[in-house]
Amino acid sequence: MRNSELDIKRMKSKKKRRENEVQVKNEEESHERNAGAGKKKRRRETKNNDESGEVVRVNEGNTSMEVEKVKKRKKRQRKEIVAKTAPVEESDQFDDGSSRQKSGKSNKSKKDKKKNRMKQEVASERVDIQVETEKQEEDAYCLSSGDEDCSKGMKKWLTEYHENRPGLKVLQQRIDDFIISHEEKLEEEKKEREALAADGGWTVVVHQRGRKKTTDPESGIAVGSAVPIAKVDDITTKKKRREVGVDFYRFQKREAHMNEILQLQSKFEEDKKRIQQLRAARKFRPY
Amino acid sequence: MMEELTALDPMTLKVSELLKEVHLQTSSSFTKLVEDTVSAIRESINQIPEGLEVTAKEARGFVRDIGADKAEFKFKRPSYIEVCGSYSINSIARPDTGVDILLRLPKECFNEKDYLNHRYHAKRFLYLCVIKKFLKSSSSISKVEWSTFQNEARKPVLLVYPANNISEAPEFFVRVIPTAKSLFDVSRLDLRRNNIRALNQDGSTLPSPRYNTSILEDMSLEENNEFLRKTFAGWKELGEALILLKVWARQRSSVYVHDCLNGFLLAIILSYLATHEKINKTMRPLQMFRVTLDFIGNSKLWARGLYFHKNVTITKEDRMKNIESFPVFLCDAHSSTNLTYRISKSAFSELQEEAVITLQCLGKFGDGAFEDIFTTNVDFSSKYDHYIRLNLKGSKEVYSSGFCLDDECWRLYEKQVHDLLSQGLGDRTKSVRVIWRNSSSGCSLEKGFSTLDREPLIVGISMSTPEKAFRVVDIGPDAEDRDAVLKFRKFWGEKAELRRFQDGRIAESTVWETKDWTKHLILKRIVEHVLVRHLSLSETNITQIVDQLDFSLLHGGTDPVSFFPNLLGTFEILERRLRSIEDVPLKISHVQPLDPALRSTSVFPPEPHPLANEKGSGGKLSKLTSSCIQPLEVMIQLEGSGNWPKDDVTIQKTKSAFLLKIGESLQSNWGMRCDATEDEVVVLLSGYAFRLKILHERALALVNSGIATQRAKRVFGADKSLFFESQHASMIKGLLKPYPAYGPVVRLAKRWVASHLFSASLADETVELLVAYLFVKSLPFKTPCSRITGFLRFLRLLADYDWTFSPMVIDMKDDLSPSDKKEIEDNFRLSRKGYAGNMQNISPAMFLATSYDKASEAWTSSSPNSMELKRLIAYARSSANLLTKLICQDESDSLRWECLLRTPFNNYDAVVLLHGDKLPFPRHLLFPSLVNQGRVVARGNASKSFSPFFSSEDLRGRNLQKLKDKLMVDFDPLRLYVTDLKREFSTVKLWYDALGGDAIGLTWDRSGSKKRQRDEQEDEEKDPVSILKGVGEAGKGFVKSVHLVKVPKLT
Repeated sequence: MRNSELDIKRMKSKKKRRENEVQVKNEEESHERNAGAGKKKRRRETKNNDESGEVVRVNEGNTSMEVEKVKKRKKRQRKEIVAKTAPVEESDQFDDGSSRQKSGKSNKSKKDKKKNRMKQEVASERVDIQVETEKQEEDAYCLSSGDEDCSKGMKKWLTEYHENRPGLKVLQQRIDDFIISHEEKLEEEKKEREALAADGGWTVVVHQRGRKKTTDPESGIAVGSAVPIAKVDDITTKKKRREVGVDFYRFQKREAHMNEILQLQSKFEEDKKRIQQLRAARKFRPY
Repeated sequence: MMEELTALDPMTLKVSELLKEVHLQTSSSFTKLVEDTVSAIRESINQIPEGLEVTAKEARGFVRDIGADKAEFKFKRPSYIEVCGSYSINSIARPDTGVDILLRLPKECFNEKDYLNHRYHAKRFLYLCVIKKFLKSSSSISKVEWSTFQNEARKPVLLVYPANNISEAPEFFVRVIPTAKSLFDVSRLDLRRNNIRALNQDGSTLPSPRYNTSILEDMSLEENNEFLRKTFAGWKELGEALILLKVWARQRSSVYVHDCLNGFLLAIILSYLATHEKINKTMRPLQMFRVTLDFIGNSKLWARGLYFHKNVTITKEDRMKNIESFPVFLCDAHSSTNLTYRISKSAFSELQEEAVITLQCLGKFGDGAFEDIFTTNVDFSSKYDHYIRLNLKGSKEVYSSGFCLDDECWRLYEKQVHDLLSQGLGDRTKSVRVIWRNSSSGCSLEKGFSTLDREPLIVGISMSTPEKAFRVVDIGPDAEDRDAVLKFRKFWGEKAELRRFQDGRIAESTVWETKDWTKHLILKRIVEHVLVRHLSLSETNITQIVDQLDFSLLHGGTDPVSFFPNLLGTFEILERRLRSIEDVPLKISHVQPLDPALRSTSVFPPEPHPLANEKGSGGKLSKLTSSCIQPLEVMIQLEGSGNWPKDDVTIQKTKSAFLLKIGESLQSNWGMRCDATEDEVVVLLSGYAFRLKILHERALALVNSGIATQRAKRVFGADKSLFFESQHASMIKGLLKPYPAYGPVVRLAKRWVASHLFSASLADETVELLVAYLFVKSLPFKTPCSRITGFLRFLRLLADYDWTFSPMVIDMKDDLSPSDKKEIEDNFRLSRKGYAGNMQNISPAMFLATSYDKASEAWTSSSPNSMELKRLIAYARSSANLLTKLICQDESDSLRWECLLRTPFNNYDAVVLLHGDKLPFPRHLLFPSLVNQGRVVARGNASKSFSPFFSSEDLRGRNLQKLKDKLMVDFDPLRLYVTDLKREFSTVKLWYDALGGDAIGLTWDRSGSKKRQRDEQEDEEKDPVSILKGVGEAGKGFVKSVHLVKVPKLT
């Protein structure tokens, strides 16, 4: 914890650290770490699956009672389904909310079709029930409340919720640890590289990204090479002024004119294409 | 070459496409159909025996209700039957493909004095009755129905439907209109004469200008049609201009009705302009359209009356008298009939306003105006802010003094309602429009007029500024002004109060006190009071469309928005405390609210939680004390420092370290509870929870500068999205002040999106931007001032916007420069370029550009995708249609309103239902879901380890600290479940309601590329039931049941 405090304080003092190489390295590293994490995760997942498999098996183990229940439920369900075919009208009313989009105006015929379909479904359902007696326990498979199982569902989320909140001190400690180890790694890597470079007699030159710092980030005062750049700019503009304007020669004007026409033409073509697409999408029918 | 190019600018191209689509070209088959039908009509008329005795017995009810004293004649066949109207000038505009024919009533059937006392009207009707009887027996005619001429019940016409039909004109019919050419002496029908003896006041007769004009109109029909035919003959452009005008007017149902425009009047106005050389042969149709609208909207001539004949001089006195009798006077070329005698004053000002708005569109948006003018439906139900429907079925008050005198009783009633509302609402409204359609075709007019009140009377009100519209006190006349006080008291009844005001004035007044969050109901109360008092209507017959959807925004009976001021106050305290923190190395320089609740666009802005206070509990703990609290996002910025690390991982970690420090400081200095995880820090203050986030500008600068590669964007995602959020928040905040309706409309829209399970498809910010678009680019409408109108327009915008081919640019204060617009256009082209052939998978499917996001990266880059958008559009369209119906048609059933927010489950492959009592905020749930299709795959028991409310034991325990510690911050099982599912089941697409719905819809995702499909072949082949079981397993303790609705098709 102290360390992170230090870290932050260091920021306040205007010590400048050069960490040009850090970025490259860091990215590599994070890649590695990600890959590692991924593997771990996968492993964990498979584990989870195993566990859940067990649970399922346990459930299937004591299905004798379950099956009874299921059978009863199934019966009830069948009744429900039969009852439900009748009030199709009702369900239609619900449909008004949003499902109209497909049915459009030819309601009646569709309704009939729907009825038929419903009937068919019910029929096939019945066949299902009669034929696949073995499958019964699969229908309306029962989920436990999961209160004893921390790997899935509500219990897992609650556990995670509490695990994620170990208190400010612990969290700060974690961040400190992370930053320390992170820095150590960086340091090590830097050393390694230096050692490598020294071995071969080479120095590593790293491409510097971004513009050169010309202003101090805190005060906004121009630093370093700001002035020369401005001067260079000045020179180039002066040079430019001496160059010939773009519309000096007649051929330039002609070309510009032609370009304009071509542009207009292409825009026109584009418009035409667009309108064709719009026509295809029936955007011109105001009713 | 240049000329050709300019001639074919996009607008012209679009207009010519529109004409192709709409203009019914008279093909040979259509001509034949018309000719056949007309000759069939001729034949059956020829079968009528000459000299047939016709008496009032044919239609006793009609003759009685119209008040005619004599009506017998001997039938004689008409001497003249000709096609007229739009067919004769070749300007039929689809979909209305009716053809008019004129049928001249023979002079022999009428007496010289039949212009008196509605005798003409009675005989006219009896004549048609006879014809109808014979037409019905013709084999080539399938149906004959009554209709009325421009909704004037005393002037019925016949609609004749032929037995054969062609596909070009599926609902073809012929309208038979009788004319009365030279039946009567024109001078007898002078506007200042009385021709209805019953019309008198205190013994002296009153002039009957409308009645007279009603007869004069029939007398001049033939000539006027001949005149139109001559003007339009051989002038294709004029006919096309007429079609454009018709299309324009039909999209505006408030001006294309009986008391305003119709096709005939548009043709007349066009030919007026042509004869007065305002339109000439060199003009293109669109130009004529523009000239006509300009004439309608801006011409000063309307105030003096329009006269066709230039040479005939009319005395100034006559002009004045004409204008006094009618608000609009357009005198035809031959007689001196006013062709616009039906146009009412309010209708005409409405028309002028529409014309001006359209001209504005044309001037402002160039070719983009095409959609606004010709294809956007500016109908009654989307145009106004407040709607009233009066059910007047069987209400005798309407015709207590007879059905027809000078004017018809329905028109008089319209006027009465209009005047009452205008007086009662005063400057709260911009305009009041009252329309009562009477003639539902197919009614049997023979029995009289008493059935003509079946349709409801509809009133549309445009509100003026919200400060005026929702004013609490109306100040009337001073107490000294006796007469005015008396009048005021008479109008308001017991509602009038004598009050003393702050400036010392003592005056009559009306007070409509109410809570802040029900201010939008003030108008409703006034209307109800006025109508009940003056029209002796019962309240059940008055339906007002204002608050029907408010139920979806209430939380425990009140609108949670009422806590908004309190919340803002708390936020200010938080800001002050944050800024004053000393024991953190960098000072906090900037605090900005990001959460929608802090700009009143959240559906459920939180109420203060009694356990989230620093000291003690804020008030007594109720039985239903929630065990969860939603945090509100707040962004902070720290003062600059050169010592930030340079790689993203460390930056984020450093941010967390800072946040922990800040939280700790707040906790130790102010006793605010701080709840932290590795990624976020939440602090609790006065009943609210705030999640703090740090925006680091440097990381952002890296992204924004040119070096940002795809990779960099990904790496610095956190800061970039935070930046977008902050820009968005401040932009939206700017809308609240000028548009008070914005907040409620957004909330309704969000509620709709969520209840149709689109939470994953449409981000909250996207909804806010879409609604913002409605407000900043309101043309061709006026800015919406009510939640329901705004909501309807939102649905229509979603359904009708051309998402594939147009970017939506939300330009808040006109602050986008042309170069910005060009940049947006280029970005849009780029996004659509790769998909020239295939428009199925464009991304972003919804291109939303703002000043802070010109490439639509912020909110819609990944969702909705084309498939989701398609679904959204379909849902929006059907909801919009339903809402339109609910506004205009008589449905007092509140269930139908709920249907707008109830989603059907048959559009999903499978549905997961959750335990409603395990949702963190069970009261946010609108309706408990029920699935009655498909079969149940799994059922689950509820977990006992979580409850959204504290148990009674906990509450009784009185150990406050313990309770406070138990309060869970930002615990949302639904979100956690969805994340788990997304990780584990990649082949399933999830649809859910993040606001607190208890259902998750599942569809099998087949959108993946072929390669992916091959990879997951094994997965795909997995039987859906076992997948669903897995889905159920993943939400143990939360899932109530899993239903398989559709078995996936094998492809």
